[in-house]
Amino acid sequence: MNESTVFLAAFILYILAAACYLAYHFGRQAGRARAGLVLAAAGLTAHSAALVLRTVQSGHAPFTNMYESLSFLAWASVAAYIVMERRFRIQAAGGYVLLVVIALVALASSPVMPKDITPLVPALQSYWLWLHVSITLIGEAFFAVAFVTSLMFVRAERLERLGRKPSPSSAALDAVSYRTVAVGFPLFTLGGLVLGMVWAFKAWGSYWSWDPKEVWSLITWFVFALYLHTRLVMGWKGRRSAIIAILGFLAALFTYFGVNYLLAGLHSYA
Amino acid sequence: MSDRSGWVSRTIKFLSSVRLAIVLIILLILASVVGTLIPQGWTPPEYAARFGRMSGVLMRLQLTGVYHSLWFLALLLLLAANITVCTLSRLSAKWTKAVKPGLDIEPAALLAGKTSGSVKKPGPVADSLAAVRRELGRRRYRQRESVRPDRSFVLARKRTLGYFGSDLVHLGLLVILAGGILSARAGSREYLKLEEGRSAAVPAAGFDVRLERFQTELYPQGGIKAWTSRVTVVEEGRDAFIREIKVNHPLSHRGFRLYQSGYGWNWDQPVLELWVKKPSDPAFLEKRLVRPGEKAALPDGCELCVERFVPDFIIGRDRQVESRSDEPRNPAALVQVRKGPDTLFSGWAFARYPDFGGGHSGPEPAFSVELKDIQAPQYTILEASRDPGARLIWLASVFICAGLFLAFYWPAREIRLVLEARHGKTEITAGGMTSKSREPFDLEFQEILSSLRKGA
Repeated sequence: MNESTVFLAAFILYILAAACYLAYHFGRQAGRARAGLVLAAAGLTAHSAALVLRTVQSGHAPFTNMYESLSFLAWASVAAYIVMERRFRIQAAGGYVLLVVIALVALASSPVMPKDITPLVPALQSYWLWLHVSITLIGEAFFAVAFVTSLMFVRAERLERLGRKPSPSSAALDAVSYRTVAVGFPLFTLGGLVLGMVWAFKAWGSYWSWDPKEVWSLITWFVFALYLHTRLVMGWKGRRSAIIAILGFLAALFTYFGVNYLLAGLHSYA
Repeated sequence: MSDRSGWVSRTIKFLSSVRLAIVLIILLILASVVGTLIPQGWTPPEYAARFGRMSGVLMRLQLTGVYHSLWFLALLLLLAANITVCTLSRLSAKWTKAVKPGLDIEPAALLAGKTSGSVKKPGPVADSLAAVRRELGRRRYRQRESVRPDRSFVLARKRTLGYFGSDLVHLGLLVILAGGILSARAGSREYLKLEEGRSAAVPAAGFDVRLERFQTELYPQGGIKAWTSRVTVVEEGRDAFIREIKVNHPLSHRGFRLYQSGYGWNWDQPVLELWVKKPSDPAFLEKRLVRPGEKAALPDGCELCVERFVPDFIIGRDRQVESRSDEPRNPAALVQVRKGPDTLFSGWAFARYPDFGGGHSGPEPAFSVELKDIQAPQYTILEASRDPGARLIWLASVFICAGLFLAFYWPAREIRLVLEARHGKTEITAGGMTSKSREPFDLEFQEILSSLRKGA
């Protein structure tokens, strides 16, 4: 079995899982959501195997270029979603989270992403690579889940205003979004900012250089700090909170993706 | 007096508002975004070329160096003042509550809370109190009691540290800012260019380093595997120790850190391999190794001189020869063959274009010279830096991570109970509070009540 076969299997399983979850969302039969979860878990298992194979073949962490890190972010998003679903019963969000995952995997598989295993340049030869990148991407995966539940909130709230009763209710989605941010924010702080500073100090000789990627991580952090303060201290809830969470994920996405293609800087790897 | 204290209290009120924090965070976000959209740290002509007349405005507003501008620092300091006042003004109340909590409370006030309930138990208050102690102790609540003839009060708490999570994060942010300012003001950064066998003093560090060997390792399939500088640290003229410096593996010594930062070739003093030929005599070939400015002897009393060397030959303005860069993209040497006072040959030899014997004039020359190879001594670039602020940054990082953990995953829980004797029974009224995660706490609260109800 080689990596690309297993990766393809994971991709197909995710598509099937998304189909089941979406069927659940529109038809409300518990069996469909269960099938979605089983397929998503199977996809996650295959995806984990693909990441392990990649690690064994390359001899380094499976997130050193765009293809690898997109794949890892997709993997982490599925894992984050499954954790949140088990805890908060948000099966209705499954289809949409998996659509985001499918988009990430499709982007990773697209021909514009070089998939060759390349040996690590000296700056990346460090165990901090494992810690910094994996924890940051796992934090961002939780932001992705919060992004989906926040978008669903906006829609549910609109339906409620029209007198309909969406399920899950907007209140439930609001609560889940907050709980998901509450998991993602400490992880992102630790992985993206703290461990990033530690590694930068070791590799570049300076813990902070105002490199565009650093600045955008800080912007992302500020947006979620705004989310937490408006919510916990000023009691903002619902729509305004949801919009901040959506902007926060977009900032995270730009940090991760946009900076590489639109702004030049030290972080030229991924 | 009222004027002055009014001014002070207004300032404190202004600085203690969370709204100010929100506004400052939004401004910092906008400023940071602008700083990544406008290129930072260019020279004025570069800005003029890119932005035209706008460039003057950009520079006057310090938008060309946002993160080092005074107004950005002012925003950060205002945020720091805001955080300090906000945290302190809430901290004293929190502290009193944590250390010297009041126990007395009216049962009605407890029942007004969301998480509340009451239980009636047979038997005297003392028995119920024992049951309450057991049940709460089993769930690791620390308890305080105030037993009175008519009423008894119990305050049970756990994870009290959770109240202080956000304060710890805020303290961490202040320490980060302090660390950053200290780094900017007291830190230093110098770059040392070292050829093998040469040494240089690390500025203000009180020791020297000598480069023993610089090595570039390649992967079998190409690509850089490692840059390694093997250096000897020299203290007071004596060799102290030898260490290898690699990317990700700096050398730490006496508060200084030496990083593998770059490398290059010293094109001022390359060794040139020159082949001298005679068009009239195909058998004539003389190979010589010469440095710029030096001479080498040729047969018949002739000598070969290298007048000049440029790594990246170009004819610049005023038809003058210049080097476009310090990279060996188009290496060329101006060479002459002389015999006594006569110059027999003079012309440029190009490594890339051996047949291009340009530059000489007159009839068919007696010699031709080819530039076969160039060996420039390689140097390593070591960054020597001292950053006294870094320790504060690590301390702050610990505060922030621990604070976030406490704030989100160590929610303080508090249960207050009032026990009263009523017609030979005991009435227990209870109310609970938590700093976060209400649902699991509600669950625990209901379990406590029901086990008090059952355990008769």
